[in-house]
Amino acid sequence: MNCHVMNMVCLSQRSQAKFRIILPILILIAVELVHPTMSCKNEKCSQLLHRSLKLTRLMSKRSADLLETYKASQGDSADLICDMQMDNVPVSTISGQTMSERILSVYTHLKEFLPHMKTVMEQQKDLNPPINPVVEGLHSMITHVHHIAQRVNCILQILQPNIPIPEPAERSTGIPPAQNIFQQKAYGCIVLSRLQELLSQAVQEQKSLKGKMCKQRTKNGSL
Amino acid sequence: MGSSHHLLVFLMFLHYAVGFTYNCVKILPDSSSSIVVEVGKNFTATCHLLEGCAYTSDDIEWRLGNDSIAKQSYHRINETSVSVTINISSDMNAWLKCTAPKESLSYKPKIIYGIFLRAGYPPLKPKNLSCIAVQEDKDISPNLSCSWDPGSRNPLIDTTYTVYANVPGTVLTHKADCKQHLARFCVVNLETFPIHMVLKVWVEVKNALGSERSELQSDSSYFAKPNPPLNVQVLTEDKFPTSLVVTWKHPIDRTILKLSYAIRYRKVTSNVWIEVPESFTRGYIESFRLQSLEPYTQYVVQMRCIGESNSSYWSNWSPSVTERTTEAKPASAPDLWRIIRPTSNSRNVTLIWKAPVKANGKIRFYNLSINQNNEKFESHNITADNLSQMYSMELPAGKMASIEITAYNSAGESPKATLSIPRSDKELPGVKDMSWSVRDEKLQVKWTAVLPLPHPLKLSEYLLEWVKIPQSVHQKELPAGWQRVPKNVTVTTLNAGLEKFKRYNISVYPIYKYQPGHVWHFQPGRPVTRPAYVQQGPPKEGPTVTVTKSKKNSAELTWEETPLDSHQGFIIHYTIFYAIGNTKQWKSETVGPNVHSYVLTDLASETDYVVYVMASTEAGSVKGTDCTFKTMKYGDGEVEVIVVVVCLSFLFLTVFIIMICLRKREVIKKLLWPQVPDPSDSSIAHWSPDFPIKADLPKEDVSVVEVDVFDGKSLCEEDKGVLPLKKDKYLSEEHSSGIGGSSCMSSPRHSVSDSDEGDSGQTTSSTVQYSTVLGSGYKGQTPSHQPPAFARSESTQPLLDCEEHPDHLNESQSRSSYFRRGRELEPGVLAPECDGGSLTFCPVQEEEPSPVAEEPPASALCYMPQKSGYRPQ
Repeated sequence: MNCHVMNMVCLSQRSQAKFRIILPILILIAVELVHPTMSCKNEKCSQLLHRSLKLTRLMSKRSADLLETYKASQGDSADLICDMQMDNVPVSTISGQTMSERILSVYTHLKEFLPHMKTVMEQQKDLNPPINPVVEGLHSMITHVHHIAQRVNCILQILQPNIPIPEPAERSTGIPPAQNIFQQKAYGCIVLSRLQELLSQAVQEQKSLKGKMCKQRTKNGSL
Repeated sequence: MGSSHHLLVFLMFLHYAVGFTYNCVKILPDSSSSIVVEVGKNFTATCHLLEGCAYTSDDIEWRLGNDSIAKQSYHRINETSVSVTINISSDMNAWLKCTAPKESLSYKPKIIYGIFLRAGYPPLKPKNLSCIAVQEDKDISPNLSCSWDPGSRNPLIDTTYTVYANVPGTVLTHKADCKQHLARFCVVNLETFPIHMVLKVWVEVKNALGSERSELQSDSSYFAKPNPPLNVQVLTEDKFPTSLVVTWKHPIDRTILKLSYAIRYRKVTSNVWIEVPESFTRGYIESFRLQSLEPYTQYVVQMRCIGESNSSYWSNWSPSVTERTTEAKPASAPDLWRIIRPTSNSRNVTLIWKAPVKANGKIRFYNLSINQNNEKFESHNITADNLSQMYSMELPAGKMASIEITAYNSAGESPKATLSIPRSDKELPGVKDMSWSVRDEKLQVKWTAVLPLPHPLKLSEYLLEWVKIPQSVHQKELPAGWQRVPKNVTVTTLNAGLEKFKRYNISVYPIYKYQPGHVWHFQPGRPVTRPAYVQQGPPKEGPTVTVTKSKKNSAELTWEETPLDSHQGFIIHYTIFYAIGNTKQWKSETVGPNVHSYVLTDLASETDYVVYVMASTEAGSVKGTDCTFKTMKYGDGEVEVIVVVVCLSFLFLTVFIIMICLRKREVIKKLLWPQVPDPSDSSIAHWSPDFPIKADLPKEDVSVVEVDVFDGKSLCEEDKGVLPLKKDKYLSEEHSSGIGGSSCMSSPRHSVSDSDEGDSGQTTSSTVQYSTVLGSGYKGQTPSHQPPAFARSESTQPLLDCEEHPDHLNESQSRSSYFRRGRELEPGVLAPECDGGSLTFCPVQEEEPSPVAEEPPASALCYMPQKSGYRPQ
């Protein structure tokens, strides 16, 4: 009986010891998976902001170019389709009062735009030859917007290190239901137009961080 | 049934004969494929005999390939297990077998089990990983080319290299499998190059023995390589001869990669690049001004770029752009020199010059000003032409000249160059002990410095002049080259492109300067000149030898010196080779370089020789053309001696014969001229030349001998027939007969002859005159119309030598004459032969006895008409 008890105790102790070792590893893995922001620590604040701003500025410029390319590839009614109104497309307006709120708004909007861009790319693949400048530009743009979002996330981590960054809900704005070709063209144009507006505002928002964010951090002794 | 039984028996026999393998053994570790083992490490395998196996562990034998493993490597674990430990070598790719061999005729089945060992190395960690993404169009290519050093060790087993790349913080990781063995290069496609993101790249190498990994993580721009700057242009600016403006375009947008630029330039004539400091071109600029350049000089400019703060790879250099700076005034004076050639009563001065070293442009013309005896003599503007940068003039020996020259280009004039030529008797001293040597295929000239001269003359520099010998007739070349060296230098290397195998006269001039006014004047001193070769070679051609004198045992050879241009070096000696005919047994004589004739001695007489002369320099020799000659048979004077001896011998012989003749004259006389009987002394004949000579007789040379036949005697019988015939030949119609007929005294000589054809053949000296009796009666016959007359005959018929007794001669002396010299009878002339008969004639005049009958005057001869002696007809 004792022996059984002893065995049970022993087994219990061994299991606890193993759990103590494995648990931090699991937590670490979970954190790594949930928080793709560990790389932010590898860059200095100013460097981060500088590169983020450069990338956002580049994408702002490229989104404008892409929009022109898109319009050129949609035929004569390009201007007309871009003037249409659609509710399902996320707005490009940056909201918030503080720097952190506005940057968070930028981050949220960027994340919201990504599924729409993917939808437009898929639609364009169907409407045009699979490999065309619009599709290529959109593919590249999606990657770069991902990268901008990552940079902005890092900025947010610097701006509000103790507050978790809320991830936008998957398909929060909703992908529009089945559309005809005209609607698809209009949808794509509106997405790109609003994305261009969003990136322009993102540039402005990040510019506004210059001289404030990293200075504050330096004073705090973090960096 | 029976057949199946037989088959079973056959199979059993076969089974027994071949052996039965029962799988009751197993090796651990085991693998369905090969087992990879690391080279250099020990590998232990255990052979387990399964239950029911007829063998024990003592029966186990380990084999590697076909070789048994030594028992010392075995470790018997228990009755059924035996392990073996082997050290793995790099070439150990073989079966490791555990077996129990079947003994002969044993019932135990054979057992065997094997595992295949493959030796290899674990992978080495890749070193020096680097990745690069080049610019494509206006973006950076998503294709990331990575390279690394895999190490030199061959892993021997399959090893894979994989390149991974991702942006930290993102889930997506790109990878590329590198298929090559020992891969050192691979391209991973990132789909979109992550601009302004951190990029992490690693290469992982794996094989069965392990894995290694090398990693790179940096801002993505560090992996980017931009294109060179676009549209690089180099612009010149008027009035800025020392600068060039470089402009270009950014190859990539600054939002992608902000660049800084590097500029380098060099002279076209130089290989050394000068790089503009990066601090000068740090900004995001698109133009730059190169300064402190040389005027009128071609420069090559290149550019490249790099990410700001060296945040990327350098681009390649842009294509070269060449541009020339604008002209400026010449910054240095022309290099003026002169060549003086003395003439009979003057000096021919050729002024030669080089363009200014710092011409700073294209020289358009030169202004040459010549003063003689401090008075302006002439001034010329000479168009700058590389082909005619010289000027010749005559300068009397007693005059000095001062020359000034200035060069002009489009921007202005150069400083003046001056040169003074003193009077012939006012030359300044030169250097001493000048010598030269060859170093690195260049001439190094050495000399002794000149002694200081009294004020105001100062040594300015030295000038080294080289002149190719013989001088080229090519008009375009300057007659000489020259080089100036500072005054403190006494050894220098000529920087001239002197041709090999060509002779040059190297001269060293000290250049003195003095300042009579505001301008320095430069005057060369006396030169010291030496011939030199930068490299000597064997002569191009050998001398042509000729034999000027050939004697019995010697021959004098002469050869002309070959043209100086064909020497190709200093002739150090000539070698004369000679041999007899084709024997090829050459003998040689060596003479100095200044000897051009030689006497070969100890030659064989009357022998053909071949001779040639070989000219030698220190670099080699070359033979001239062959010459053949033949030595004489006789030496000097030998012929003369022989001739003199022969002549003297002949002379002595002649004298000897003459002496003998004189001494034996009588004998000879008798032999040559036998005694002729004197008719006058003949007692049997009388010579009565009573008839006058008729003047109108024909002059035919007819000899008639009237022979007074003794009474009672008649002519021989043959005469009877002959005489009439002969008479027909005579001009005398009556009769004609030769005188001196046979003496009828048994003399063998004919005494009478007559011949027509003998007239012309007779010489005067040997002519014996005969008388002709014309128109006389004979033996009582009266001539019909003319009295008989005597005519002289020139017949050579010798007179009969009377052999009669002199008494008879004396008796008839008053009536006949005789000739002391007798002659033989002319051939063809029939001479009457008298047998015992005698003819008598009377000489007109008795002559002195003489060996040669002188031609008596016709009038002096008188023959008596023959009155008797002939028989009546």
